[in-house]
Amino acid sequence: MFRHTRLRLITLALLAIGAVLYGAFTGYFGLEVLTEIAILAILVLSLDLVAGFGGMVSLCHGALMGTGAYAFAMLASDLGLSPAAAMAGAIGLTGAVAALIGAICARSHGIYFIMATLAFSQMGYSLVFESPWFGGDDGLSDVPRPDLSAIGLDLNDPRTFTFWCLAALALAYLVAAQVLRSGMGRSMVGLMHNEKRLRALGLTAWRVKAVAFGISGAIAGLAGVLAAQQTQYISPGLMAWTVSGEALVVVILGGLGTLVGPLVGALLFVMLRHEVSAFTPYWHAVVGMILVAVVMSRANGVYGWIEHRLSVRGAHGKPIEPEVENA
Amino acid sequence: MLETRNLDKSFGAIHVTRNVALKLEKGERRVILGPNGAGKTTLFNQLVGEIQPSSGSIHLAGEDVTRLSVADRARRGLSRSYQKNTLFDGLTVWENLGLAAAIALGKGTGLMRDPLHDPEVIETVKEVAALVNLGRSLHAPVAAVSYGVRRQLEVGIALATRPKVLLMDEPTSGVGPEMSRGFHRLLKNLPRDLTVLIIEHDMDLAFDVADTITVLNYGEVVFDGLPEAARNSALLKEIYLGSWEDA
Amino acid sequence: MPIDPGFWVLQTLNALQLSMLLFLLSVGLTVIFGLMHFVNLAHGSLYALGAYVAATVAGLAGFGAGVVVAPLAVATLGAALYFLLIRRMRRAGPMAQVLVTFGLIFVAMDVTRMFWGDLPMGISVPAWLNGQLDFLGIEYPAYRILIIVLGLITLAALTLVLTRTQVGAMIRAGVDNDQMAACLGINVERMFFIVFVVGCALAGLAGAIAAPVLAISPDMGLQILIPTLIVIVIGGLGSLKGAIAGSLIFGFVQTFGAVLAPSLASILIYALLAAVLVLRPAGLFPTKG
Repeated sequence: MFRHTRLRLITLALLAIGAVLYGAFTGYFGLEVLTEIAILAILVLSLDLVAGFGGMVSLCHGALMGTGAYAFAMLASDLGLSPAAAMAGAIGLTGAVAALIGAICARSHGIYFIMATLAFSQMGYSLVFESPWFGGDDGLSDVPRPDLSAIGLDLNDPRTFTFWCLAALALAYLVAAQVLRSGMGRSMVGLMHNEKRLRALGLTAWRVKAVAFGISGAIAGLAGVLAAQQTQYISPGLMAWTVSGEALVVVILGGLGTLVGPLVGALLFVMLRHEVSAFTPYWHAVVGMILVAVVMSRANGVYGWIEHRLSVRGAHGKPIEPEVENA
Repeated sequence: MLETRNLDKSFGAIHVTRNVALKLEKGERRVILGPNGAGKTTLFNQLVGEIQPSSGSIHLAGEDVTRLSVADRARRGLSRSYQKNTLFDGLTVWENLGLAAAIALGKGTGLMRDPLHDPEVIETVKEVAALVNLGRSLHAPVAAVSYGVRRQLEVGIALATRPKVLLMDEPTSGVGPEMSRGFHRLLKNLPRDLTVLIIEHDMDLAFDVADTITVLNYGEVVFDGLPEAARNSALLKEIYLGSWEDA
Repeated sequence: MPIDPGFWVLQTLNALQLSMLLFLLSVGLTVIFGLMHFVNLAHGSLYALGAYVAATVAGLAGFGAGVVVAPLAVATLGAALYFLLIRRMRRAGPMAQVLVTFGLIFVAMDVTRMFWGDLPMGISVPAWLNGQLDFLGIEYPAYRILIIVLGLITLAALTLVLTRTQVGAMIRAGVDNDQMAACLGINVERMFFIVFVVGCALAGLAGAIAAPVLAISPDMGLQILIPTLIVIVIGGLGSLKGAIAGSLIFGFVQTFGAVLAPSLASILIYALLAAVLVLRPAGLFPTKG
């Protein structure tokens, strides 16, 4: 069961302080990197929520992010909604799509769940790629950023936009942590461990899965909205299944089922990409080898390994001890 | 409280339960006896809805629940434990009980409050833990406790839903005599208005706790009556001779 | 709606050709899964590698040599992979397997770029295969007929081996229950190895014979992977019958969808897959266990 251990709180504080300090003083390139990390972190957070705590290993989170991006662009440009309304609409729509996928895939487990989500991912990709509605291969351009001048913020300023994304990341984390500590989140963890027993206790399993997947999808949709705002241009490449695969890689590198680990994973992954691609065009091969090594080491990612080393009680931290003194 | 009418389940030509009619009054303690393969667990699976009967019906507190899902029946107060431990292995004993209590209290799907810190859930967990004697291992991960403790937890999870009807599938299977006596005490301590149906191999336990006894053989009810009558039944001796004398 | 019979013959041949190519790929993947419960996402990369090796060898020693060498080379690589990675990952969960082989895709893609560069490669076939054949009243490229024939031969050979030989019986026993098979004295470990390597060789062969009709590029393995996975999921993971049915379904839906309902074609197959997963989560021909 999810719990904020002291180690996790310290890590979160360090990440937050680091991000704010770096964001305040770095130059244009640094801000771009930080924004990239923040958006990727939101995506992998949403994936860890269902994969790490619900056993729903999804290969459609990239497509969900793409859904958010396309929905935002089209609501804002084609329907002329204000960017704020378009954001809310895009996040809600992505959540609804994800809930539907979650409901349909609720009966599938293990490799079948992975394949089923992959199928939906590809369905979305082909739809966007082939339909002239979505701009096809060319994608959509001139995606707007919200106007926050009413509160004295200009999102066209790179530094302000970076902090906008960091604030979104903080919000996404709080939502994910809240879900995990709610009845829904506890039941989701239970489903991962023993679905049959939970049914016998009176839980409607598919509904819990659908809601959890929907919330996770909404968070992925937020990542998509921000990605669209960042480059102000979107292409079908955003929805390719390899994006989902990469998100899963980041979760694994960071530490599945720790919620904090994937944030560390996103940081490491983006830094690694920039470092490695600086001296070789073959950075994918390097990432691939690191991935193989991490998975084969059987450690739960970088952060999971640290948690394991620092905590005698294993990767899940201290178990929950409510106020039961002498039961 | 719990009733079956003409319950039939067949796989092809093989009848695993045949024409089973049971009627349990509120608060009744009934033990199901029968040799291996008599269809006892298959009967349980049909009662809770994990498999569908081929024909016949199941009634819970007067309502026909034959077509309801497992979860729907559980929400109406039907709870079971399994012959083979069916626990949440990655969690602690406390979390196992808390999860069960939270779901039964309707707090398993909310998005705002943490059910594991809910006073009602905590109250239930404390009570159940005391009842099944889990006080000392409450905060241990399930993976770290002994088989006997897991066996107690198996029943504890079923009890944490505060059921109206409790089905226990061989609660003492695989445990030593001392723990067997513990279950014995547990059964005596259960609330008197709880209806209990137990599959049991231990004859002493069966005769001691049962108000009534049902014997299944080849999927059919071959005896249904009071323990004294069961003890003296010639038919039963024939079916059950081996374990009878050993027990 | 075209009613010209030649149109139907032509499209049927196109569909068959695609089906056979997919069959060569999916049969290895699915039998490996059925036997070892191992999901190899890098199967498509082995196919790409087969295409590259075939193109290179064909440039030096002719097309025939390329088609022979490619499966052997890929099988050798498969053997190395088996001992380095696959054997150790067998007992890991599906997610770990998906991730390790996903990592392998990355590595394989960059390795092909290192050796053969980013630009698509071509491969030429001998003159006697370059012509057109007269088939049921239409002209059809001889080479594409060859693909269909090769696919059918492989299908027949595999069916024979699996149903009529002792090795086949052992493999079927292993798919049903590998522990029981081991108890019966079957050397399960060696059988896994053989099946894995044969599956790799078939992927290499598919790559070699697909090379002349498709562009050879570093991401061709990634492109074929999704159709291959769809085939085995529709058919039922682990099932030979399923691989045949899935390949035919995919080939025909894709080909006829593209000419009869172009706007729906790409969605059609995914919708079909989703329907199969909802109605029969274990595929059309589920294997036991």
